[in-house]
Amino acid sequence: MAGTEPSFFVRHEFLIRRLHSLTGIIFGGYVCVHLFVNASIVGGAQAFQKNVLAIHSMGGILPLVEWVFIFLPILFHMFVGIGITVGMIPNNKNYPYEANWRYTLQRATGLYLFLFILWHVFQTHGWFHFDWWLNVAERWGGAQFSPYNAASSIGLIMQNMLVSLLYALGVLAAAFHLFNGVWTAGITWGIWTRPHAQANALKVCLAASVLLGAVGLSAIWGARKIGSSEESIKQAEAIENEMYTVQVEAGLIPPTEHKRAHHADSDETPELTATPASDENPTHPSDED
Amino acid sequence: MTASSTKRESFDVRILRQAAPGEPSRWETFRIPYEPNLNVISVLQKIAAMARNAEGKETTPVAWDCNCLEEVCGACTMVINGRVRQSCSALVDRLLEEHEGEIELQPMTKFPVVRDLVVDRSRMFRALEKVKAWVPVDDYYDRGAGPRESQESQEERYPLSECMTCGCCVDACPQYSKVEVERRPNESIEEHQARQAEAEKSEFLGAAPISQAMLFNRHATGAMLADDRLNALSGPGGIQVCGNAQNCVAVCPKEIPLTTSIARAGRQTTVHAIKKIFDR
Ligand code: SF4
Ligand code: SF4
Ligand code: FES
Repeated sequence: MAGTEPSFFVRHEFLIRRLHSLTGIIFGGYVCVHLFVNASIVGGAQAFQKNVLAIHSMGGILPLVEWVFIFLPILFHMFVGIGITVGMIPNNKNYPYEANWRYTLQRATGLYLFLFILWHVFQTHGWFHFDWWLNVAERWGGAQFSPYNAASSIGLIMQNMLVSLLYALGVLAAAFHLFNGVWTAGITWGIWTRPHAQANALKVCLAASVLLGAVGLSAIWGARKIGSSEESIKQAEAIENEMYTVQVEAGLIPPTEHKRAHHADSDETPELTATPASDENPTHPSDED
Repeated sequence: MTASSTKRESFDVRILRQAAPGEPSRWETFRIPYEPNLNVISVLQKIAAMARNAEGKETTPVAWDCNCLEEVCGACTMVINGRVRQSCSALVDRLLEEHEGEIELQPMTKFPVVRDLVVDRSRMFRALEKVKAWVPVDDYYDRGAGPRESQESQEERYPLSECMTCGCCVDACPQYSKVEVERRPNESIEEHQARQAEAEKSEFLGAAPISQAMLFNRHATGAMLADDRLNALSGPGGIQVCGNAQNCVAVCPKEIPLTTSIARAGRQTTVHAIKKIFDR
C-alpha cells in the first residue's frame, strides 16, 4: 500500500495524550498551591508576604522547581491541548447531556486559560527577566507584580475592575478545568471504571472544583481590598518593606531589587530603592500628573 | 392515545436527500396522513408508495435500509429529530411529542452517504478487524474443552456482546469525524474501498470497537490476542482519542456500558504500555 505516513503526532498520540494528562495533573498541583497561597492575602499583607518570602527563600533552586513543576508541564499541556481541541466536533445542541456539556466546557475553559495564563504571566512577571525586555514589558503593562511587595503590587493590579473580572473568570475556569480533568484522567488511566465509581468520583471532583474556585475568588477579593485605597496600599507597602529589610539583614533572602516595587512618585521607599525614577517612562507627553 | 393525536389529520416529514455519493444534498418535505402507532419505517413505506412530496410534485422514492425491524441489526440507523437512533423502533407518536407536527430524518452524519438515508458503515467493521474482535479458533480440530468461564465473567460479557455495530455511538461522538473518499471514474469497488480504508487508517476507532476489544480480552480464549488488541488500542486512532464526552453510552440503543469499557481499555493500555517499556 503506497499510503502516506501518519504524522508524528498521530504515530505517538497515545504517549503524547498520556503526557498531556500527566502534565495537567502536575501543573494542577501547582495551581492548588498557588491559589491557596494567594488566598492568604485575605489575612492581610503580612500573611501573604510571609508565604511569598517562604517561596523565594528557596533561592537558587527556585528556577529548577519552577521549570520542572510549572513551566515545562504547562507549556506542553497548553500546546498539545490546542492540538486536541482543534479536532473536536461539538454537538451539544442535538446531544444536550450533562457529560457532553462538560466535554465542551473543558475545551472552552482550556482555550480561555491558554490566553489567560499567557496574559497573566506577562502582566505579573513579564515572561522573561532580561532587563532590556522588562523595560519593554513594563511599558506594555507587563511585569507589574513585585514578589517583595506582593500584596501592594497585586492590590494595584486588581484595582482595575475589568482585570479583576477576567481573573475571576480565569480562576473559575481553572478550578473547573483542573478537577473535571482529574475526573477524565481517572477514566483515561483506568482508575474509576464502573458507572457508579465514575459518578462518585465526579461528585468529589466537582466539590473540589467549587472549593478551589472559592479559594481563588477569595484571593481576588483580598487583593481588591488591599487595593481599595491609597491608604491601605501604603500601609501594605510599609509592612512589606520592613519584612524585606529584616529578611535581607538576617540573610534569609539575597537583596534583589528587581523583585521590589519602584515608584517614581512614591515617598515610601526612597532609601531602599537603587534606581529611583529610572524605570518610570518620561516619553509620554500626554501623561497627566 | 393522547387527546392531541386524535385530532391530528396529518404530519410532515422533512428528509435530507442525496441522489448519490458526492452529490449535493437537499431537504424535501412529505405530508403523511396520520394514523396511530406508526414507526419511521412504516412512514418511509408510505412515502415510497406516494412518491409525491408535500407540494404534490412527483419525486423519486426515498431510499432507506432496514432488516430485522426489531432493533437488533442496526441497518436502519439514521438521525431522527437530530438524534441518531434506529428508525424501526422510533415511534411517530413519541417523535411528534418531541417536536410538534414535523419529523426530521437525516442520514447518519459520520459515514459516507450511499443514497438518501442509506449510508456505508463499513468503517465500523474495518475497526472491528483492527482490534481483532473475535475468538481465535478458526479450524475444525477437536481441541477438547475450552477454559472454564466463570458466571461473573459471563455476566460482564453478555451486555457487551449485544452490540449490533449500528454506529450510534460514533455518530454522536464529538471526537469521531467523517472520512469520505470519493470514487474515481473507472475505479473498481475494491480499489475504492482500499483507498477509503487507507484514509481512515489512523482515524478514531470509536466506542463500539473499543468495547468489543474489551469483550474478547475478557474471554478466556479470546484473551490469547489481548496484546494485539492493546497494541491496536494504543496505536493511531486508539483509545487516546476519546475525550470522555460520554455521548456514546447515552445514545447506545443496547445500553452497553461503553464508558466502563473505555475506562477498562484505559487501564489495560496503561499496564500494557508500562510492560512494553520494561520488556524492551
Ligand atoms: S456500542 Fe451500541 S451504539 Fe455502538 S454500535 Fe454497538 S449497539 Fe450501536
Ligand atoms: S466517551 Fe469517548 S468514545 Fe464516547 S462519545 Fe465521548 S469521546 Fe466519543
Ligand atoms: S431494522 Fe434492524 S435495527 Fe432497525
